[in-house]
Amino acid sequence: MKKIYSLILLLGVLVCASNLNAQNMSDMRLNEVLVTNTEGFEDDYGYRSGWIELFNTSYGTVDIAGCYLSTDPENLTMYMIPKGDVLTKVQPRQHILFWADGVANRGTFHLGFTLDGAKEVIFTAADGRTIIDKVVFPALDTNKSYGRKMDGVGSVTELSAFYKSYRNSLLEAEAKADTSTEFGWIKMDNPTPSTNNATLDGESKSALMAKADPIGIFLTLTAMSVTFLALAILYLVFKQIGKFHIRKKSENAVEAVKDVANKEKADTSGQVSAETYAAISMAIHLFMIENEAHDFEETVLTINKVSRTYSPWSSKIYTLRETPQRKK
Amino acid sequence: MVYEASILDNLSQFFMYTGFANVTMGHILMILVGLVFIYLAIAKDWEPMLLIPIGFGILIGNIPLFPGLQVGVYEQGSVLNILYGGVSQGWYPPLIFLGIGAMTDFSALISNPKLMLIGAAAQFGIFGAYIVALALGFSPTEAGAIGIIGGADGPTAIFLSGRLAPDLMGAIAVSAYSYMALVPVIQPPIMKLLTTEKERLIKMKAPRAVSPTEKRLFPIVGFLLTAFIVPSGIPLLGMLFFGNLIKESGVTKRLATTASGPLIDVVTILIGITVGASTQADKFLQWSSVKIFILGAFSFVVATFAGVLFVKFFNLFLKEGNKINPLIGNAGVSAVPDAARVSNNVGLEYDKRNYLLMHAMGPNVAGVIGSAVAAGILLAFLA
Repeated sequence: MKKIYSLILLLGVLVCASNLNAQNMSDMRLNEVLVTNTEGFEDDYGYRSGWIELFNTSYGTVDIAGCYLSTDPENLTMYMIPKGDVLTKVQPRQHILFWADGVANRGTFHLGFTLDGAKEVIFTAADGRTIIDKVVFPALDTNKSYGRKMDGVGSVTELSAFYKSYRNSLLEAEAKADTSTEFGWIKMDNPTPSTNNATLDGESKSALMAKADPIGIFLTLTAMSVTFLALAILYLVFKQIGKFHIRKKSENAVEAVKDVANKEKADTSGQVSAETYAAISMAIHLFMIENEAHDFEETVLTINKVSRTYSPWSSKIYTLRETPQRKK
Repeated sequence: MVYEASILDNLSQFFMYTGFANVTMGHILMILVGLVFIYLAIAKDWEPMLLIPIGFGILIGNIPLFPGLQVGVYEQGSVLNILYGGVSQGWYPPLIFLGIGAMTDFSALISNPKLMLIGAAAQFGIFGAYIVALALGFSPTEAGAIGIIGGADGPTAIFLSGRLAPDLMGAIAVSAYSYMALVPVIQPPIMKLLTTEKERLIKMKAPRAVSPTEKRLFPIVGFLLTAFIVPSGIPLLGMLFFGNLIKESGVTKRLATTASGPLIDVVTILIGITVGASTQADKFLQWSSVKIFILGAFSFVVATFAGVLFVKFFNLFLKEGNKINPLIGNAGVSAVPDAARVSNNVGLEYDKRNYLLMHAMGPNVAGVIGSAVAAGILLAFLA
């Protein structure tokens, strides 16, 4: 039995470990693609070429070394991102750019292929099989890119049925929508390599709160309601748990009394009863008195009033931190 | 002659590095504040575990420094700066909560769970102070950080102010700990003011015995329920309930002993000394600090009012025999276990046999949960 438990535990650990690894990688998203670059961003060598931008959607650093980029679904391992380069560690919520110039010996971020004629880009995990993200992009004009409306938000490898229906309804609602794009992706007239695709609202939560609730009364009411709710739920749950335990305890007590009674019944069958012992004791006692064989006993009790202010209720040893004691 | 000149130059240069050459009135004032803290701790026995480290930390932080020596708490890479990382990055408060969880017995609360609501009511001190801070011109994030002083929970105040208003953290932390030490002074007059003689004599039913299963269930269920409602409070709530589970599980005695003993002692030392050291005169002596101290006192007063008045209100719905003594309402602010002790002491003033300590521990520990929940809410709305 112990071996089975150990095996289950080991499997659990392995599953968790594999998930953790995958979870890190799965936080990366293809974020923007530009196929033909003639007057845009230049690489460190002063050349212009197409590029692929990845985005780390998580709030932790992700190392993408050993992962693959490809434009061919039949060959997912077209370019392996080299290991041993600290720059492959993508900071939280940051971008990383790969130049699709076909000259891999220019460095870690220069792919061994170009995007000419490509229709999709695939980002694959280090195992060379697990597709983390892929995007099928429409025909793009020169110097125009294809990117997510909001960084890291939008389609994943396979659109779920829910997203498909949601996307369709969204597209219907937006008559102007371009049906050739993936959900969450748009053609961008102004490419944004290594920066956010959408400028985030500059106003902080605090500034918004200052405008929406300058006196603070709404936040106060909301927060007090939530605090009460949290503790009220706890109260209700533990009230029920308490009732359950009290009921169980009384049931157990009744059972215990029954058990003792049954046991006594069983023990006393064929034996002398307690009443018999009492009668014998009384007879001996009377006999001793009659024969003056018993010592004289003082039967007067004196009860002194004792003032005792201590109570377990005042004790601090059970639950509280010891009070610092200063020696006087 | 050349040697003499050289030695004089050296001495003159050395003098420029000494505290005497760089001292200001602000430094002297803050050193006096530190000395008062130490005096109160030793002579008056007011929260010595906190006031001694904070008081001495104030002395450390206010020795006038020649800038650039890499010793000040705000100089990157200095020893004090590295230790201060636990405060500024919020590592220490959850560790303190772990220790609090490991040394807290929630039996009083479990046996009479309605006392939890008092812990919720007393959090009004936080939001009352928030409203007033807004009116005084603080931004919502600053007001939230200041308001949390009313939770009477030092670690929570440090945790939240570190996230919402790091510049005000020194003043907020010192204010929170100072008023926690002053709970026996602040609360009794309010409690007496708001209660009648008859109410103070209410004797509460002795709590029932709580089974070990209930004690084990409490941290698990408590964490799941509160964390699902306020996920932003996970660092504090998680550690509090985890600490309690290792205490109550009965199978991790070593962990519980470490968390409730050596670990919390170490973190208390570090948090106290670094919070004290962060009160450098040039950062601390500002009008905003004065306002924070006033608001801190106000939040404690409001929290005590809210706790006591809530019990009186609650009693309207309770049957005779089940009524709650309103003197335990003040314990809804965290300040464990001082607020509960205050309830007990005030209760004993009116009836020598009416021990309220265990009853007051219920709202007191509920206050810890409540303040962590409130901090999570403020984080969610303002961070």
